[in-house]
Amino acid sequence: MTKPQSPPRRLIGQGMMRVDGDGKVRGTTRYLNDLAYRGLLHGAVVRSPVPRGLLKGITPDPDYDWSGITFVTAADIPGINVVHMHDRTMPLLAELGGEIRYRGEPVGVVAARTPERAAAAAAHIRLDIEVLPPLLTLQEAVAVFKARPGAFDSMKDQSIVKGDLARGFAEADDVLEAEYWAGHQEQLYLENQGLIVFPQKDGSILVEGSIQCPYFPVHELNDPLQLPPEKIRVRQTPIGGAFGGKEDYPTMLTGYAALPALKSGRPVKITYERNEDILFTPKRHPVWVRYKTGFKKDGTLTAIECDFLLDGGAYLTLSDVVMFRGILHCALAYRCDNVTIRGRVARTNSMPCGAFRGFGAPQAIWGLESHLDAIAARLGKPPHLYRLQVHARPGDVTPTGQVLSGENGSTACLKLALQRADFARKLKRCSRGRLRRGQAKWYGIGLAFFGHGAAFTGDGEAKFKAKGRVELTRLADGRPGIDIRVSSTEMGQGVHTVFTQIAADALSLDPGRIRFPLADTGLTPNSGPTVASRTTMVVGNVVHRAALDLKRQIESFASRRHFKGAAVELRRSQLVAPGRPPLPFARVARDMLAELGGASGFFQFELPPETKWDQQAFVGDSYPGYSWSANIAEIEIDPLTCEIDVKRVTAVLDIGRVINPVTASGQVEGGLTQALGYALLEKIGTGRNGLYDAARLQTYIIPTARDIPEFDVQFVEYPYTFAPPGAKGLGELPMDGLAPAIANAVEAATGRRIRTLPITPEAIFAALHPAQGAPAS
Amino acid sequence: MKITETIDIRFPKTLAEALRLQAGEKTRGQLLAGGTDLMVQWASGAPTPERATSIWNLPELDAIEIFDDFIEVGAGVTHAFLRDAAPIHRHLPALVAAAATIGAAQIQARGTLGGNAANASPAGDTAPALLVSGGSVLLASRSGTRTVPLDRFWTAYRRIDAQPDEIIVAFRLPRKGSARERFRKIGTRRAQAISKVMAASRIRIVKGRVTSAAIALGSIAPTPVRLSAVESLLVGQKLTPALIDEAEQLAQATVQPIDDIRSSADYRRWASGRLVRDALENL
Repeated sequence: MTKPQSPPRRLIGQGMMRVDGDGKVRGTTRYLNDLAYRGLLHGAVVRSPVPRGLLKGITPDPDYDWSGITFVTAADIPGINVVHMHDRTMPLLAELGGEIRYRGEPVGVVAARTPERAAAAAAHIRLDIEVLPPLLTLQEAVAVFKARPGAFDSMKDQSIVKGDLARGFAEADDVLEAEYWAGHQEQLYLENQGLIVFPQKDGSILVEGSIQCPYFPVHELNDPLQLPPEKIRVRQTPIGGAFGGKEDYPTMLTGYAALPALKSGRPVKITYERNEDILFTPKRHPVWVRYKTGFKKDGTLTAIECDFLLDGGAYLTLSDVVMFRGILHCALAYRCDNVTIRGRVARTNSMPCGAFRGFGAPQAIWGLESHLDAIAARLGKPPHLYRLQVHARPGDVTPTGQVLSGENGSTACLKLALQRADFARKLKRCSRGRLRRGQAKWYGIGLAFFGHGAAFTGDGEAKFKAKGRVELTRLADGRPGIDIRVSSTEMGQGVHTVFTQIAADALSLDPGRIRFPLADTGLTPNSGPTVASRTTMVVGNVVHRAALDLKRQIESFASRRHFKGAAVELRRSQLVAPGRPPLPFARVARDMLAELGGASGFFQFELPPETKWDQQAFVGDSYPGYSWSANIAEIEIDPLTCEIDVKRVTAVLDIGRVINPVTASGQVEGGLTQALGYALLEKIGTGRNGLYDAARLQTYIIPTARDIPEFDVQFVEYPYTFAPPGAKGLGELPMDGLAPAIANAVEAATGRRIRTLPITPEAIFAALHPAQGAPAS
Repeated sequence: MKITETIDIRFPKTLAEALRLQAGEKTRGQLLAGGTDLMVQWASGAPTPERATSIWNLPELDAIEIFDDFIEVGAGVTHAFLRDAAPIHRHLPALVAAAATIGAAQIQARGTLGGNAANASPAGDTAPALLVSGGSVLLASRSGTRTVPLDRFWTAYRRIDAQPDEIIVAFRLPRKGSARERFRKIGTRRAQAISKVMAASRIRIVKGRVTSAAIALGSIAPTPVRLSAVESLLVGQKLTPALIDEAEQLAQATVQPIDDIRSSADYRRWASGRLVRDALENL
């Protein structure tokens, strides 16, 4: 009789301490601006002072002392003046004779020994521009869209069509139509944008910096720099926050720094001060979304028609994919047989918008979840019961025709959130603009329910084939250990920790022997960008499988070398064979390193072969998996001043297998806080001069600790079984739905629906007093 | 933009020495107390002076003295000190409350009452509380001292009644006695916020009638303002709901705020009245 084995200790599901926490808490982590290099030049970007015009001349002031200064313009670009991005239309620097399309568009770069000298020299570049009238904002673009659709300048159109919209409206007993707006949102990472380009003797460049997606500059600048991917090497420095803001933009910044670096032969560093960072880097896309919905008396949704317009700014960059993700979420969460969604990306004379946590989904969900409450109100149904009736669940078919599998915990999220927040009872206490007995403030409770497609859209992951390695190596202490080699970047979300947990469990090794070097495109396989809530789900699976591959290699080596061919298992840091004394991992690994020099487990991600996706028609399996969430906001509004206080937020999420519940909850609370800022505080407009009006932390208002509510964060686990350990997307989900939950709570508190974000006291005041300035009732 | 110019900062040890240094100056812009406004302005690209005089930590500016009728608060007293100075809480509660809403803890530790007044921002949080005390400012120069009533101190947008060679020494603030004070600020968020509108009030009621009323608002005009029309309406009256309604509407009719990055004129006008109501309903 054999003694039952105790199961291996598992780290997955445990709140393991952050592996990068010590350096960040003690302040010993060295960010880009902590790295001292000698002989650097500092770059300053010369920008257009107007939002639109023809660039007729660029003249360095002849009376200025230009010694020791490198100045580049589009004429210095070795190749084609274009940043690849998605449509190869955006010049790296504005071309002489060409059109300036946004205020602050780079015209040249000055590099000098100090940042101050570079800034002073940049101010001595004279630009001759023939000014043209700009179209600055989404409001102006939508006005054109409504009045003269033919004149509307869309950089990308895409539709989703399911069923027959006309039939759906014919079947409807009632129709509700409304429009929803939201403005820009700034990522506001703690560490501003920055990087250094080091020109190499062989003509290649090495880039170091705060870069969320190290492989992007490698593949986006080949035409302008005339360098093949292998001659652009990118090393990530520790990232002080990104939220998407360091996804697309560092490619452009690399181009700006590379030109004077290549011209001068000296390394060039560009870092932004906060003001420049807010003014001249991409933000979340402003949105205008119009829903027209048909429904029966019993609440059945018979038709959803949706126009979804994003403000892309002056160039497309990656706005097409943001719009795709937006339209894929415009009707995802509800049952409806007849759906037509039309997405467009408006061109405006403004800084191109870019990636920001949620990537189009928060804009879509803002409209849909506001609108669904409005439908429930029209039907006279409580908003939670209506959602329980019509929400999407396993077996339902999405607007693109994907059948939701049993791995979707949509119902569980909704029910648990309603129960934990005691929603049904509290809904009856809502003030609806009149203080009830015992209330000093208007009280409101609001619900939002939503899904989020995890990983790349459609068959993106099948095409991309994320690659990663898990390697046996010697660590700094000279003893054997493991290196995780994937290009996923740690930017605060905890990927270094969860991947350590995944590798440690797969290998059955102590996590203390596992290291996760920062991404270096010269050494790290391309596991893809750290975006799209794909990292733990897709790259976590790559790490898991590569670690299993390495484990088999270690076991096979031990079997041959130490156990005379017997079956061997690596278990809890020991090599174990039946009937033999176990050997420590360290001993076997030392022998393996001595004999083979190392070992490497490898894996390349694939989607299930039955995955179908038609990118032209937008039909098929739009995402490999879906995460789900319900958010409930409880608020108080002071009738005296219309000030809004979010008291409590309940969030229940299905993110599949939860690898680390502590870091996951932290990520949820952080995302909800960012969503709270989007909902209530973060207001930024555009002046007639083309500049954002809130370009400092004094005027761009984000939540402080005092603005943060009490959180109740809970997970329900419906793992993605195709890709062990079974995580789904987490990163973006907490950003998606709190704004409409708060808007719904504001409606419950005041009786007024606000259809524009952010919902400020001024907006509530205006809604309550349609005749402006009228005395209070 | 970084501060790149060199500023010659002088550190006098006494008020007399500071006054001597200031005697030849043509502007007051280079008087540096806590630096919480000036450092930010300089770092944002405002012209930097060739030299500045630090009046931080001058012993003559640091005291709070409690007299029978008034409190004399040194211009160099920080917001943090005011916030924590328990002995004056019952005499000047609106000022203490205002000081506690300024910036963050770090700003409160450096920012001074004199600096807040001299900076003369319409959004300076202590100004309405100073105004309702009915007190005055003590200014010193090499040629002597003079006193300016606070309601004549802020003369225009970012202008004060002080000569280039004068230094604010102290504020002489009548104790509230049996009156009630209230301060309320509507900021851009719940902490570390700049005011959209704020109100301070000092109202005395004897036998059910208002015997004196001082109400001041900030962030709704180029300077902090007293609502004298509302004050006149109240004095001698019983505080009935109808009178409070009237006071609220009169305040809204009186003020002429502007739209800016932080709020709208309409909201500010409405909220001005609402804060008057708040003051009168919470006596």
